[in-house]
Amino acid sequence: MSNIDYQNDQEKSFSPEESLQLIQTMIRKTKDSVAVDSFYLLFWGWLVFICCIVEYVLMIYFKYPYHSFVWWAMPIGGIISGIYSSRKAKKQKSVTYIEEALGYLWIAIGISFFVMVFINVTSEAWNTAFTYYILMYAIGTFVSGRLIRFKPLVIGGILNFIIAAVSIKFNFAGQLLMGALAILISYIIPGHLLRIRYNTKKN
Amino acid sequence: MFKELDPILHSQLRLAVVSLLIGVKEAEFTFIREKTNATAGNLSVQVQKLKEAGYIEVTKQFKDNYPQTTCKITPKGIEAFEAYVQALQQYLQVGKE
Repeated sequence: MSNIDYQNDQEKSFSPEESLQLIQTMIRKTKDSVAVDSFYLLFWGWLVFICCIVEYVLMIYFKYPYHSFVWWAMPIGGIISGIYSSRKAKKQKSVTYIEEALGYLWIAIGISFFVMVFINVTSEAWNTAFTYYILMYAIGTFVSGRLIRFKPLVIGGILNFIIAAVSIKFNFAGQLLMGALAILISYIIPGHLLRIRYNTKKN
Repeated sequence: MFKELDPILHSQLRLAVVSLLIGVKEAEFTFIREKTNATAGNLSVQVQKLKEAGYIEVTKQFKDNYPQTTCKITPKGIEAFEAYVQALQQYLQVGKE
């Protein structure tokens, strides 16, 4: 591409073959620019994982009655995540359709979490809350994995559909461990693999 | 019998710009310049021509006190691009015969 001489653009007539080649080159260039960010997977993955484990330990080993306070980390995480994405949006020079689709997918999942939290605190649904959270992780990671063509994320998503089905058989303590397992498989492991792939691509 | 190749698109830099914008929802002027390796002066002339033809939409705004130009393909631009590719195919088929 770099050797195309745009200077003589007006005079120079170029052949249909050259035309087609140029179109292909440019389309390939936009494909490469879909840089997928592992930040969200790793940030939310580790945050939720740690919260699940801490709540489990507080509840089972310390018999601490207010164990659910750990989830106050979620709105704080939301603020950090929001600041990160607004900073990133300022630097971003192009938006692909895949990035737009991913954005709306995760906004919808984010809203679903808010709705589920509302349902959980106003009913007894919190007992089986993780079954539905895991189902959300499954949808998010499966669709994202397909869109960016990243297999570990797709596999993580599929496994989470199974974990969600199994998790309904567990009591709340068991659900916490299921949640930790689900997030490990669908966010943390694919997130680290994605980071490795990105770093090796860059070098 | 032959469709004539759209003169607005049958120019290397303008075709490069439109091909880029086909693949994205929107792109900044600097992004287009990077990907096409064109000079800013030449690129802005060609972008202006595409805008006048109604093939692309250009928005200028300020982001953190810096002027920022964003380009986006219009439905008319997509149509023209498709027609251009179709005409190209015709030419290429005749070449083969």
